[in-house]
Amino acid sequence: MSLDPGLRRALTGYGLLAAASLGLPLLTRDTYYIDVATTILMNLVLTMSLRLEVSTGQLNMAHISFVGIGAYASTLLVMRGGYSFWLTLPLAGLVAAAFALPIGSLALRVSGPYYFLITFAFSEVVRLVFNNFFVEWFGGPSGLVQIPKPDPLRLAGRELTFVGKVELYHLMCVILLLAAAVLVRLDYSRFGLLGNAIRQSDLLAETLGVWVFRYRLVAFVVGSFMAGLAGAFFAHSHQVLHASDVGLEPMVLLVVFTVIGGTGSVWGPVVGTVVLTIVSEFMREFHYYENLLYGLVLILMMLLFPEGLISLPGRLARFLRRGRPAESQAMGVGVAS
Amino acid sequence: MPIELLIQALLNGFALALVYVLVALGLTLIFSILEIINFAHGEFYMLGGYATYFAFAVFGLPYVPTLGLAIVAVGLGGMVAERLIFRSLRGKALNAFIVSLGLLWVLQSAAQLSFGVLDKSVPRAFSGIIRAGGIIISVERFVVMLAAAGLIAVLYLFLQWSRVGRAMRAVAQDADGAALQGVNIEFISMLGFAIGCALAGAAGGLLAPVFAVSPAMGALPVVKAFIIIIVGGMGSLPGAVLGGLLLGTVEGIGALFFGSAAVNILGFLMVILVLLVRPRGLFGVA
Amino acid sequence: MKAQRCRGWGLMLAVALLLGTAGPAPAAEKLLEIGVLGPLSGGAASYGVELVRGAEMRADEINKAGGLKVGADVYKIKLITYDHKASAADAATAANKLVFQDKVKFIIGNAVGATCNAVQTVTEPQKIMFAFVCWGTKNLGQDKPYSFRSMLSQWEAAEPFYRWIKEKRPTIKKVAIISPNDTSGLDTNTAVVKAAKGLGFDVVAEETYERGTKDFYPILTKMLAKKPDMLDVAAAPPGEAGLIVKQAVELGFKGAKGWTAGSNPATLVSIAGVEAAEGVWSPVNINVKSDFVDAKVRKFGEEYEKRYKEVAGVIAVANYGAFDVFTKAMQEAGSIETEKVLAALTSRPYETVWGRLLIGGKETYGIDRQFLYPMVISEVRGGKNVDLEQVLPGALKALKK
Repeated sequence: MSLDPGLRRALTGYGLLAAASLGLPLLTRDTYYIDVATTILMNLVLTMSLRLEVSTGQLNMAHISFVGIGAYASTLLVMRGGYSFWLTLPLAGLVAAAFALPIGSLALRVSGPYYFLITFAFSEVVRLVFNNFFVEWFGGPSGLVQIPKPDPLRLAGRELTFVGKVELYHLMCVILLLAAAVLVRLDYSRFGLLGNAIRQSDLLAETLGVWVFRYRLVAFVVGSFMAGLAGAFFAHSHQVLHASDVGLEPMVLLVVFTVIGGTGSVWGPVVGTVVLTIVSEFMREFHYYENLLYGLVLILMMLLFPEGLISLPGRLARFLRRGRPAESQAMGVGVAS
Repeated sequence: MPIELLIQALLNGFALALVYVLVALGLTLIFSILEIINFAHGEFYMLGGYATYFAFAVFGLPYVPTLGLAIVAVGLGGMVAERLIFRSLRGKALNAFIVSLGLLWVLQSAAQLSFGVLDKSVPRAFSGIIRAGGIIISVERFVVMLAAAGLIAVLYLFLQWSRVGRAMRAVAQDADGAALQGVNIEFISMLGFAIGCALAGAAGGLLAPVFAVSPAMGALPVVKAFIIIIVGGMGSLPGAVLGGLLLGTVEGIGALFFGSAAVNILGFLMVILVLLVRPRGLFGVA
Repeated sequence: MKAQRCRGWGLMLAVALLLGTAGPAPAAEKLLEIGVLGPLSGGAASYGVELVRGAEMRADEINKAGGLKVGADVYKIKLITYDHKASAADAATAANKLVFQDKVKFIIGNAVGATCNAVQTVTEPQKIMFAFVCWGTKNLGQDKPYSFRSMLSQWEAAEPFYRWIKEKRPTIKKVAIISPNDTSGLDTNTAVVKAAKGLGFDVVAEETYERGTKDFYPILTKMLAKKPDMLDVAAAPPGEAGLIVKQAVELGFKGAKGWTAGSNPATLVSIAGVEAAEGVWSPVNINVKSDFVDAKVRKFGEEYEKRYKEVAGVIAVANYGAFDVFTKAMQEAGSIETEKVLAALTSRPYETVWGRLLIGGKETYGIDRQFLYPMVISEVRGGKNVDLEQVLPGALKALKK
């Protein structure tokens, strides 16, 4: 059976992701590397789901807020309600999605820079609420501490614990691979085609009968669900939750990872997140100059690779072939304004 | 609640609102002409503040020429930034966002490394207090208010009556159409960016004696600028002025009744409300 | 064509792996690596910078004298510093790096409340000794035996400060307090309100503001309407405290001014202006040039200024002191293993840069982990900070008898 190139690409990409993420603990057990890798995997869930929303040409600056909603929801359910993490994890996603529905419905009435600004405003409101209101529940500026790790899970007659870094890493792996499977499947489907069409011209898509608003809302809610899942994991693996974790700074990083990676392909964020996380960890060595160098790196990367790092192999290939008509249309164009 | 208190609160909000309007105007000008949002805008405000600090506090030049120097210096900086970095990003909002973010980090880190982390105070340019009944405003703030109003008026006249100003408005409305009419888009883009940054620098220079300077000082004004532009409408000068006064009112009166966090939320809720009810703002051009 | 793209990917993957595995160079023989964390950029950068400098000065002194002799070994001290940018998540990652990759056993220096909690989730399970200046009651406790605070916090300073005010300025009855809206700010407000009310003061206003605020007219208008006799800018950092004081005076405030958490009056004076800053009291601040502090502090101040061209603040001295105490404990224990060093750090006084230092705080935190040294209450007069009186906090009082 011959697979069409799109499916082949999707499967190869997914296979590589699964192999790399599952294979890492076999290569190294160094706690620091595992810790960085866990953060990368979590960011992958966030950037890939962000990309789903961005793929229609709209930048949602409130993505991180749904991480927060999932995180605080799961934490409160476990610490106040006594529920098991394994119940609160999917619940966190559902709660985030539940909030996403009304918020998205409101926000998506505007587009372009206005959408950017309204979601930015939402994210600040959410952050301020977590930081300053309902202090009894959210902990105020001190945040919540001593959040318990996931309780042991009974599976197939054996009991799995999630106390060590490697065990938590495996959990994040599973969450990522599930989320990625959904996202890749969506991308390689009519849904993905519609998204592409909308990004290239929403007006045109509209005239062709595509209900753009509903499409974007679905992407928004699905993306927020995944953000909620990641949030729950974040809370119980870090054991400390603070409003600053769901503010502008982490959101901006997510956008940077996604755009530098390239929003045209579902794999763009993967490249962006991995490369930039490694770069920024590397930058730690430079202490005082860290921020300065990182800023320079961003500027250079964006000017050199306007379509994202993911376009690099395509461009290399085109360069090597020297000008023959490129099949690289399918790589996707960068986000049009 | 005594009426004096309310009037004082209102005055509190208004006095500096016009300076934030300057910042907002710079941002909206850049957006109109280049179709990008410059996230590093606050850093040009900061550079204006430091330029003033050096010329006025360190080298002892008189205040007014210092302000002029700050405006020109930051404007030139903006020109360089546009030429080197932003020119190729015309229309590509997402990429420009990332680049401007990188620029923000570069400028802020560079400022910290060069000038140190501690706040540097700038001596008062004007001292004294004006009292009327129970209402108080410092001479400093009063002068700043007038200066900002003056700069806004100059900008308005420039955009309305000068050739270059009209060319800018043309490009803001329809770049392709303007090009067809013979307007040099590249030159206008560069000038627009420069003026936008210069406005931020002017604001920084005006507020330097009032608030002192520090590397991170650009963060808050830029957030206020965003709120002002959304409420007033992108691309509209009178809208920005009104938006600024509205924000000032909300913040001034809000502080009397609520805590600081709630006042901040009020600002953002105002944004959300405007965007839902009238997305293009009070006077925005769609 | 597909093969070329695959090759492109393979190359990228290899490069990524290479970059990832290229960590810092392996440590040399008999090197003692000590970590320092702090906000080295952004609004709170002055705290982080002072922490690093305080540590640097002690480390360099020890190294110049031939190294740290512990038991039979002599160690050269190497500092590893990371910037956590005042973000809790970043602090956790940096702490992970220090503990698991750089393999440090001591982290001497951290600031910004929420980050301390994050770092502690890494240091406590691994028995890493951790000294910080973070303010927050939750940071010290019986469940955190390896955590120490090296600088007097609002809990040690508030009561003695307000007691002094009551004695020396009995006309002050109504107090208004303002702090930034974060962990240390809120905690400071709580401590100050408790101390003030406990001593019979009337707290007429207790306000907070968002960090980064410059315009305090709105909030001051509200506070001053209650006609307080004293304004305490509590946990406001020097730049903002200066602005608050300046603007309060502009708005007509003529009462007393206090700064319970004040650590850098020189900056406050320069921002507020000489007139407005007149009379500001700072209990926690240490003036490194004063006669009321130990001669060793003055010496530290001189060398600090020579080296860094800025005046040393209390955070630099505190971290210098922490470094000193920890290394002394290592020598006493004859080992760099943290369990042994912890056991050696008993509640007996140490001779340090502060003069006599005691590790106390049991009555507040349930465990003795708070560095106690003499406080000096100072007042700004004519633009200069003048020391008025030395006050001993908590258990140190009993000691001096």
